[in-house]
Amino acid sequence: MIVQRAIESVGIPTIIIAALPPVVRQQGTPRAVAPRVPMGANAGEPHNVEMQTGILKDTLEQLEEIDQPGKIVELPYEYIAQI
Amino acid sequence: MSLKKIDGLQSEIFVPITPKPVFAKVTKPLNEMTVAIVTAAGVHLKTDTPFNLAGDTSYRAVPGTAKDEELMVSHGGYDNTDVNRDINSMFPIDRLRELADEGFIKAVAPSMYTCMGGGGDVKVFTEKTGPEIAQKLLDEKVDAVVMTAG
Repeated sequence: MIVQRAIESVGIPTIIIAALPPVVRQQGTPRAVAPRVPMGANAGEPHNVEMQTGILKDTLEQLEEIDQPGKIVELPYEYIAQI
Repeated sequence: MSLKKIDGLQSEIFVPITPKPVFAKVTKPLNEMTVAIVTAAGVHLKTDTPFNLAGDTSYRAVPGTAKDEELMVSHGGYDNTDVNRDINSMFPIDRLRELADEGFIKAVAPSMYTCMGGGGDVKVFTEKTGPEIAQKLLDEKVDAVVMTAG
């Protein structure tokens, strides 16, 4: 999140895919999305191309949509790791 | 009635402070954007130096053309099982290239930047690592960044 804020502060818009939304909120994220995923599979279930594509597309769309800093949007994807 | 009884008294419980907001405006549509992935998930080329699992403030560049089998993860702060099965579950580089191919975005940036979060010297990340990555993205004319961490 420190790096996200550094990139944002030079004028490049950023969005983070977070598994732990309270943490990114606390650390001052400019924009975040939160699919229901465990830390370590933030971008979706391994080898689930459909889920990964959906998460990435929705994330990029939220980059355009989110109009105020600190907003975190939940994404409708769920992956429960069997590990 | 005043609740304040003693001047200067403060809680001994540490209360973290959320930093001031930062926000860069989006100025062009997605299909005109060059997009980079920046991650704190410890992804790097197998040929590159691994991160120090005890805490590391350095960063690596990963070419936008890197193949899955050329990549690995060095990160001591989360369960690597899923990312070892499929790098895209933390570093969706194949998915980003597909979105560029279908015209959803304009292009994949020449370089992705990676570091190992969850540890390391916060001061160095704030004063050196973050600004250096940001400058490289500016130099490479990146329009937007997708991150994975947290």
